[in-house]
Amino acid sequence: MKEFFNWIDDRTGIAKLTREALFESVPGGARWRYVWGSTLSFAIMVQFITGIFLWMGYSSSATTAWESVYYIQNEMSFGWLLRGIHHWTAQIMVILLVLHLVQVVIDSAYRAPREFNFWFGVILLFITLAISLTGYLLPWDQKGFWATKVATNLAGIVPVIGGDLQKIIIGGSDYGHHTLTRFFALHAGVLPGALVALVVVHIYLFRRHGITEAKPATKAGALYYWSLLGVVFGALTVMAFIFEDSAKQWVPWIVSGVFAGIVVRIAFLLIRGGDDDSASRPKRDGMFWPDQILRDAIACAAVMAAVLFFVFWKSTELTAPADPSQPYNAARPDWYFMSLFQMLKFPVFKGALGLLIGAIIVPSILVTAVFLMPLIGKSRIGHWVNVVMLYLLIGGFVVLTAMGFNHDANDEDYKRGVANAHADAKRLNELILINGGIPPAGALTLLYSDPKIRGARLFAANCASCHPHGGGDGMGGEVKEPSAPDLKGVGSREWIAGLLDHKRYTSAEYFGNTKFKEGKMAGHLDDIEMLQADIDAVSAALASEGRVAGYSLPEGGQKFIDSGFDLMFNDLECADCHGIQGEDEGKGPSLTGYMSREWMVNFVGNPAHEDLYGKKNDRMPSFLSMKKEDGTVKEGQLSRQDVELIVGWLRGEWPKAGDVEK
Amino acid sequence: MIPEDPENTMPSEMAARQPGDPERREFMAKAVSIVAGGAIVSVPVGVGIATLVSPIFGEGQGGIKIRLAAVEDLPGDGSPKLYQVVAERTDAWTKYPEKPLGSVFLRKLENGGVAAFNSSCPHAGCSVGFKSKEEGYYCPCHESVFLLDGSMGKFCVSPRGLDSLEVDKDRLKDGEVWVTFQNFAAGIEEKRAI
Repeated sequence: MKEFFNWIDDRTGIAKLTREALFESVPGGARWRYVWGSTLSFAIMVQFITGIFLWMGYSSSATTAWESVYYIQNEMSFGWLLRGIHHWTAQIMVILLVLHLVQVVIDSAYRAPREFNFWFGVILLFITLAISLTGYLLPWDQKGFWATKVATNLAGIVPVIGGDLQKIIIGGSDYGHHTLTRFFALHAGVLPGALVALVVVHIYLFRRHGITEAKPATKAGALYYWSLLGVVFGALTVMAFIFEDSAKQWVPWIVSGVFAGIVVRIAFLLIRGGDDDSASRPKRDGMFWPDQILRDAIACAAVMAAVLFFVFWKSTELTAPADPSQPYNAARPDWYFMSLFQMLKFPVFKGALGLLIGAIIVPSILVTAVFLMPLIGKSRIGHWVNVVMLYLLIGGFVVLTAMGFNHDANDEDYKRGVANAHADAKRLNELILINGGIPPAGALTLLYSDPKIRGARLFAANCASCHPHGGGDGMGGEVKEPSAPDLKGVGSREWIAGLLDHKRYTSAEYFGNTKFKEGKMAGHLDDIEMLQADIDAVSAALASEGRVAGYSLPEGGQKFIDSGFDLMFNDLECADCHGIQGEDEGKGPSLTGYMSREWMVNFVGNPAHEDLYGKKNDRMPSFLSMKKEDGTVKEGQLSRQDVELIVGWLRGEWPKAGDVEK
Repeated sequence: MIPEDPENTMPSEMAARQPGDPERREFMAKAVSIVAGGAIVSVPVGVGIATLVSPIFGEGQGGIKIRLAAVEDLPGDGSPKLYQVVAERTDAWTKYPEKPLGSVFLRKLENGGVAAFNSSCPHAGCSVGFKSKEEGYYCPCHESVFLLDGSMGKFCVSPRGLDSLEVDKDRLKDGEVWVTFQNFAAGIEEKRAI
């Protein structure tokens, strides 16, 4: 066996390589604060592994991207876990990168001869951010689509080359297949390739110069760390008090409590003389293996635990598929770009020039400042300048990010946008189950043919300017000036019973805002003063015509229904005006098949038809195409399919997940 | 240090005149290697980049003329209504018979005309919503406000007002609203079609 290893070593030199890799001397002994670089390497490795397995399940085109991610997330065994780990490691990696940078700056590890390693590190930071940005689009959901639209539009404002640059990035003048193929090639090929090459150089240079010993005055080191925490929590405290949310009054107190604790700790560090910490620390040098590696491994385990914690706690979002014609009120970048996003709201960055300054020039200056740190930090004062600059950057980042999130938490439009995208996604999952899969044209086609989602949207867009639905527009929005009956529960016994009550008939709930308030029917209802028992019987009879979702025979069964019709034909004189059960005589709207699918489609299509309101129609437009008196065709606002979707939604008729099992 | 070969050391003007000189030959070999190597590598790189930048030379899909509504469908009080634009479109290899492309605000004008705006915010491309006649349009991203006529409101970080779209005047006479739907570059003052 030994001979075999010797043979391999002779041909490859592996023993020397391993020795060099493992028996690196760690001056001053292994320490916890050296773990950040290793946790980052670990995170990159996790991303490569999970990324390659995701790649095996992902398909980058506009009709398959969302669909394949849906499949990974919901159908593939452990797919949700795979995607969850990839997603949350990406989030945590950004934090680790910042911690690593802070560590390097605080310990002035960028000083000669390590300048190049610092620069490579900063480039790596930006490659990682670019990988995150390109990865955000790949699920091709509403969230990724709109955020990417904003990001690529910002690329378009770069002077001179902007327009062409944008076209190259999105692969044409419009977002589609080639946007995805390009982003995917960048995300999974070009950028990770560059990342690996640079990480190799980064680690080579790190080994060449050895670890930077945090010299230490451990007290000074501790002061740096605590003051950094102080900056972060100080900024959060200011934010928490400025934007106090009455529902969560405990937030500012908790945050400021933590801040106070940090201040006390800093004061304690300042008052206490001497360096007793460093005195107690063993001065002898340690070895990378196993002293430091043990600490690194524990830190990596903590990172993995944090990732899994988020996967299980928050799961991994997949909103509705991208739809450029469906406005999305919650278009936001990922949290680490939120500060830049928020910054662009300030009036200082108004107009084309302001946008150029805010989105391109200011970030470029900040990046340049970070690049110059090794040169600035040559002197002791320069080092302090760097530390303060970094603290200000992080403080600014925290304040802007908190402002952005705080704004969204109090913005009804934003919250409705998120809620609708989630509802769409949830419903779509149901539709896919019902359909037994996704049609070749993509998941969006399922949403577009679903009464529950599409019907509600069409109602909100076309009907809700007059008709409320449960007081709102059916999509969580408000109806500013309702002027027609509220259609929630239309055709049900309860809804019809309300209609027959004179008081409610003439109220805003039904016809109070129409000319029918003073009409024949209102007068008739006032005259006949129906008893509750009559109302029950008539509404049972009429509801049996439409049979909307949730319909069941009333107590008393068919006999009770017949008694209702009997009342309508005789005592209540309904038949004088209305056609009932096929016996059409009067001028009022026919009640044959009242609120059935066919009746409603005809009604929405042309309420002024002689069987319906006829000439008495009050403002309700005809939504379907129809022939005018002069023989020409007046095109309708909606297609028949759209009207059927609205009617299906109003009647509560849409496929339900439970139907499949039956 | 490699010891100098006495045969190779000769005055430079001599070296320049001697075609068989090894130093000169070495330089030639290096130059040819670099140039030829570069040329060979530039073939795949060049071809790749040519396809990468090809969208610059491709023509945009241009505006498409589409019927969105009848004039009488629009609210009489002049408040705008949002219409989805769904049309036939080719995206790379796929031809969609009906593809959602964007959305358009239509509003009746007092002079009987109809105004049309692309709902995409000229600032960064988010979709603006309509609040009320008094409050105008509002962008949910950077909080720009646009007035009812599409111009910039008091608080508006956008470089220009909402992008108006061409409405076919002849068809308008027949009571039909036909609009040329088009997207425009965001973030700049100039309204440039893409």
